[in-house]
Formats: sequence, C-alpha cells, structure tokens
Amino acid sequence: MAERDVLFKCLGCGHEYPGKFDMNNIQERTCPKCRSNSVRRLPLPKKK
Amino acid sequence: MMDVGRHPNVELMSFSEVEAVTGFVGNFHVTVRKKARYVDPNECTSCGECSKVCPVAVPDEYQEGFSSRKAIYLPFPQAVPSAYILNMDNCLGNNPIACGKCQDVCEKKCIDYDDQDKLVNIEVGVIIAATGMDVYDPTEYDEYGYTRHQNVITSMEFERLICAGGPTEGHFVRPTDSALPKSIGFIQCVGSRSQDGRGNPYCSNICCMNTVKDTLLLCDHYPGVDIKVFYMDIRAFGKGFEDLYMRSKEEGVKYIRGIPGDVVEDSESKDLVLTVENTTTGKLEKHELQMLVLAQGVIPRRDNAKLRQLLTLSTTSDGFIMESHPKLKPVDAPTKGVFLAGCVESPKDIKDSVTQSGAAAARASILLNAGKTKIEAITSMVDPDKCNYCGLCSNVCPYNAILSSDKKTKKLPTIIQAACAGCGACAAECPQDAIYMRHFRDEQIMAQIEGILAERPHEQLITFACNWCSYAGGDMAGTSRLQFPTSSRLIRTMCSGRVDEKFIMQAFRLGAPMVLVSGCHFADCHYISAVTWTQKRLDKLWSKLDKLGIRADRLQLEWISAAEGQKFAKVMRQMEEKLATVTMDEIKQTMKILEEEEKKAKAKAEAKLKNTKSAEVAS
Repeated sequence: MAERDVLFKCLGCGHEYPGKFDMNNIQERTCPKCRSNSVRRLPLPKKK
Repeated sequence: MMDVGRHPNVELMSFSEVEAVTGFVGNFHVTVRKKARYVDPNECTSCGECSKVCPVAVPDEYQEGFSSRKAIYLPFPQAVPSAYILNMDNCLGNNPIACGKCQDVCEKKCIDYDDQDKLVNIEVGVIIAATGMDVYDPTEYDEYGYTRHQNVITSMEFERLICAGGPTEGHFVRPTDSALPKSIGFIQCVGSRSQDGRGNPYCSNICCMNTVKDTLLLCDHYPGVDIKVFYMDIRAFGKGFEDLYMRSKEEGVKYIRGIPGDVVEDSESKDLVLTVENTTTGKLEKHELQMLVLAQGVIPRRDNAKLRQLLTLSTTSDGFIMESHPKLKPVDAPTKGVFLAGCVESPKDIKDSVTQSGAAAARASILLNAGKTKIEAITSMVDPDKCNYCGLCSNVCPYNAILSSDKKTKKLPTIIQAACAGCGACAAECPQDAIYMRHFRDEQIMAQIEGILAERPHEQLITFACNWCSYAGGDMAGTSRLQFPTSSRLIRTMCSGRVDEKFIMQAFRLGAPMVLVSGCHFADCHYISAVTWTQKRLDKLWSKLDKLGIRADRLQLEWISAAEGQKFAKVMRQMEEKLATVTMDEIKQTMKILEEEEKKAKAKAEAKLKNTKSAEVAS
C-alpha cells in the first residue's frame, strides 16, 4: 500500500495536523505542539 | 584480501549475491547466486590479452569515470580473485556471438560465453553482515556547482586522482586543463550534519580526518600549493588525530570556519570563486581557487532494505542497521546468530571497522565453538485446541520465528523456539487467544489488572510498561528521585507489542479511568519492529472506543526510553491531570457499555457454537 495523506489528532492536546501514512512503514508519531505520542490517525471520511 | 582468498578455512564467493536466508541461529540455510563471470577464475592468469582486443570502452566505475575500461576487464588492480570478468551488458553480444575477439586470443581458453548464474545452497551457524556503506551524492547541493563546474570534484574522485594506481598515475591535475592546480579548497560536511532537509543530520565520522590526510598528501607531493579547508567543526577525536590535524596546519593549510554559500566559475580560466562567511572573524570573504573538493558524507547502502528483509533486522532513524544494544551488544544484531561489522552499523573509519570486525568474529566463534546456545525462556506457545489456522501470528512475528499454518491441511503454526525472542506480539494479535507467552500469560496479566482495580479503581492509572525501556524509565525516574503522582500502577510486559486489546478493555470494564500504554521509541525497539504493532493496535482501539461512545483520550500512548526518567515523570503528571477530568458518571457509563458488549459477544459466541454443533450433527 502506498503512502497516503491522512489527518492526525493528538489525544494529549487535541491538536490536529496533516501527515503521511504508510501501512507498511509505520513511523513513530509525535505531536508537533505538545510532543505527546498519543497521536491518533483519524479515519478517512467514507466515500459517498 | 589476499589472506582471505588463500585461507584454507575461508571460502570466498566473489561476484555473488545472497538470495535467501532461512532458519535460525546455528542452522541458517543461505541461498547464494553466483553470477556468471564468463571467465573461469581458476584458469584465468590475468594476462590481459582479452582486454587489449576488446573493442568496447565504457567509463570505469572504479576510477570514478575518469578513465575507461573494456567490456572484459579486471575490476581493480588488487581484485581477489585476480581474474578478468566479462560484463554482458557492455559486451557486443554473445547470442549470437557478435565479436568473439577475447575468446580467440585467450590462450587458456577460459572464456565461456554460455556461462550461467548458479544458485548455491550453504548451511551456516552464524552470519556476519559487513556490507559497508555508500557515499552521498552531492548534486542536490546546487550552490557548490558539482554538476555545473568540472573543477568541482568529490573526495572519492580526489582519491582516484591522487592515487598512484589511478587514471593519472598519481599526478594530481584538474579536469579542465590537466594542469596542477595552484590553489585547492575543501568543503566539509557535504551531506552531513545538515538540518535544512538536504543530506543527513548525522556526522559521517570519517570526512574530517580524510580531508586532513588529503591535505597532507598534497603538501607532501606538491609543496607550495595553496590549500584551504572550509569547515564548521573539525572532529579529530581519535588516537593521533589531533597531531595529524596540527601537522596539517603547520604545513600551511588554512582552516577557515565557515561553509561557503556560493561557488561561481570564471568562464575563461575555469577558476572558482567561493563566497563564505568566516564565522571566526564574522566577515564575508571571497576566495579564488583553481579546484574544489567536496568532502561528501557517507550514507547507508542503498540496498539495505534487502539486507533487512533477509536477516530480519531493523534500522535506526538514519538508515543504518541497528545493533542489539548500543553499549552492551554493539556487534550483535537483534536476530540471534547475526553479527554486524563495519559501516553497515554506522559510519566509521578503518580502525573502528577492524575493531568491530574482530569483535564480531570473536562473538561468532564463541557460538560456533560452543556448539549450543542459550535460548530465551519467555517464548510463545500454540494452543492447538484454540488455533483456527488463520496465519496472523506468522505475519506479525518480527523474527520470522513462526512457520505459517495451513487451513486446508490443518497444519498448526510452528514456533521456532530458538528464534523466538519473546516479544509477545503474536499472542496479542491472535484473535483466538491460541498463542500464549510463557511467564506472561493472559491470565497472569488479567490477574494483575483485577488486583489493581479491586479497590478504589477510579483513582488508579493502569500503565503497561515494556521491560526494556519504559519500565526502566520508571526506575530511572525513581532513582533520580523525581516527583510524580502515585496513581500509576505499572504492569510490566516484555514489549508493548504484548499489550492485548482485551487487557485494555478489561481495565475499562473494571472501572479504570485511564489506561496508558508505554514502550520503546521505534528506533530502540528491543524486538526489531514489534513496537509498530502497538501503534497499529492502538489506532484500531481508539476507533473502537469512539464507536462505543467512550472518550478515546482515556487511552494514552507514550514512547519512553530507559534514559528518559524525566519524561516518565512528566507523562505521569500529565496522566494525573487527565485522570482528574474523568468523572465517576463517565466511568460507570463505560463499565455499563462494556458489560453489555461482553454480554453481546458471549451470546454471539454461543450462537456460533450452537450453529457449528448443529451443522456437525446434520453432516
């Protein structure tokens, strides 16, 4: 699976930011605002 | 290399590539592709007659393209075995034979156009990876004009020009007019210690002393040549290195602290003008030079991904292969029976490479001489009654220690106990709970959760901490006497990859207000890549909590290394603050939701069992 654009949300401070995600190459995530690692990849909106 | 080639206990397989590695420590099965050389290395006497008559000339890679070679050639003068090789991509063709001149003149008749690649299977007990590194390509540093100005060369090209065996037989000349340059500049840290997105952020370790050596060579061969070195720091930290640096200065080499921002070429003379801010004087300076050498950094081998895959290794953030432990096991790879030597692990000079190679050979011989090895006591086991042959466990294992199951033949997954390192990622991922970890069984961890939450559950912070980093980080915080809240209750697992979804759900079901999962940073993972499964699992769990109407931020994730005692204490304080935001009503609501979920799951499982039984009766 190729790298794709996703939205990340920090569960520490609530900051949302865009980033890249590749299922085969999982990278360590750190919130750029509060440095927390509780960064969640938000699910993509469902196609209509 | 000659010693290696002649050693009775060493079988040298040159021009070969490892295709596959299976097995485990003491029992590796390696498949090697011996590429077709088209010249019998045992018969070839390196007379060179074939090369003389070959009509094809292509740039010589060994000489950095400064000279040419033929399609049939000796890779480099000291090549072992000292035998010619025919590059079929360059040859005019062998099917049908388009030229055949080399074969005609070969007295030993050792050229065979029908030569084929051969696959060789070998059995080995240990493997030492010493695949080296590549050099950084400086073309992206456009301001230095490497692609525009012929008199800008790299340090590798400099090596060929100054070498007696090089294309100019050691006469150092500049490419544009083949004359000795009267002034030469060196720019350090090209592609190293970079923070602007180009190159690499790490120090390449060898460039400073390589440049010092180059300047001394120039001073020795060509006294009177004006030499300037543009640097940000000279890192001369090895034995005798500072002396060498001082000697270079005493010889008249000018060291200017500042990295040039621009290189302009005079269109007629082809001389170069560098603009640089001398950070010692704080002034902008212009330097006229006849030649410029870029001290390019080193990078991991471009085919490191293949090595990683073959030997189930992991890399650090800079792309070099990660060792088992940076202090205590610097030559061991995380995979048992695999050792690292040289620049495959990190950039290093010859002395350090030799030291590491010696250590790797010694570590390997200990294993080979012993003939047996201690294996991990904490390993995974399969419960044959529960397994449904889905094969997920073998996909998850970072060590390839699980031989896949087969649904058709009802073959259970086989766990190679010698290869299993005990991360527990398989046990956590198994949807049937058919894999259990010795000493870290589900029941044991569940009992800890229940024990912690037996009294005043709303005040407890359940923290899963990995043995090697986070738990040690907690220890560090304690021994450093750092203050942090007492609400955290640590449950140790060998790896955060062991933390099963059901542990977290059980904690919430029993009234835990918050759950924290903590593990090693990705680059420090003790189990190659097991930590990535933690991240994947938590992504799923956060979505699941959302769907159930439970606040996702009640489940937190932090990567804490053994040295990060301060971070551990800080995270615990942050968790305490978050814990205070969780109300009793919220906890009760969560418990209710999860109780209902459990009832539903039980009813579903019972219905499934009933259906299976009635289907069996019917059949």
